[in-house]
Amino acid sequence: MCDAKAKLVAWLDRELTPDDASTVERHVEGCHECRRWVATYERMSKTFDAYCDAVMAAKAPRRARWAPVLVGALIAAAAVCLAFLRTRVVPPTVIDPRAALGSAAVPELPLATQPILHKPMIRRRRPAPHIRELATQEQPMDAAIQIAIPAEAMFPPGAVPNGISFIADLRIAPDGSVKQVRLRQ
Amino acid sequence: MSDDSVPLALPLPRLAAGSAEVTALYRELSKPLRRYLVCLGLTSDEAQDVVQDAFLSLQRHLASGGDQENIRGWVFRVAHNLARNRQTSYHRRFGETLDEGKDFPAADATPEQVVLEKEKLRRFAAAIRSLTTSERGCLLLRAGGLRYREIGEVLGIATSTVGDTVERAMKKLAEKCNV
Repeated sequence: MCDAKAKLVAWLDRELTPDDASTVERHVEGCHECRRWVATYERMSKTFDAYCDAVMAAKAPRRARWAPVLVGALIAAAAVCLAFLRTRVVPPTVIDPRAALGSAAVPELPLATQPILHKPMIRRRRPAPHIRELATQEQPMDAAIQIAIPAEAMFPPGAVPNGISFIADLRIAPDGSVKQVRLRQ
Repeated sequence: MSDDSVPLALPLPRLAAGSAEVTALYRELSKPLRRYLVCLGLTSDEAQDVVQDAFLSLQRHLASGGDQENIRGWVFRVAHNLARNRQTSYHRRFGETLDEGKDFPAADATPEQVVLEKEKLRRFAAAIRSLTTSERGCLLLRAGGLRYREIGEVLGIATSTVGDTVERAMKKLAEKCNV
């Protein structure tokens, strides 16, 4: 083992006296092992510096990292609110059936004289379990068939504009007869 | 080992409390001092407080006509002692210079490089933890740019002992993780 090996770090740190430094320097030039150790110590010093920087960066306050995110979120929220405020609410257009039908002879009766009765809202409750079971047992064999019914077949002429049809579900009994007709909403 | 270490990187005339030289010294030392304190186990905020307190003490020291030889070592020693006083348990806090799962950020690196760098620093951190308190302190102060004589004054040991300790610590690190 070289005697100079114990002074290599001090030599790198320029902590040796000029005489000692020149002695070590001459030795290092001719000693392969010491040159290898010098390179190792230099790498080690750099890694130690990187380690210190990494510790400092890892312990840096994290508030600052959230600040841009928070600002971005606030800006996005403000933009969404602004977009909603600027959106105009367009009321639904109500078509006057008379205008829609033109000046064709239309009986006076339907919409103007008879008030439209709104269907009351009925809150449907889920049937009790035993009733649900019965219902499922009851539905058996009959299949639902969908048909289109022209409006003229269901309403007096002129009550509904031409060309409008309704869709209904038909339920056919096993014997082939219509058991139930249900208009779709 | 020479006992007459090179004085200071910053040429320091006679300092006066509140002078521009003290401000320049603060600019030069605040970052390495904070880094040293954080590596000792303080949080970033605690380290900042200790640096402020150390420079307030420096102002008082200069105002009272205190010794100005090796002023950098003086500031580091004051900060070191203030940090020790802040620790509720010196050995517990100073022992954990780096948490196991601490994330090491690396800028401008590919994911593979980041992983390798993290792994390397993790191994290095484990090797540092295996050093004695004195060895670790010497290396941290050396990384802060202090000369061996200054390190000796901060830690209260002889300059020649600092040289031996640094040499031994570097050899240990090299053997434990040859980076």
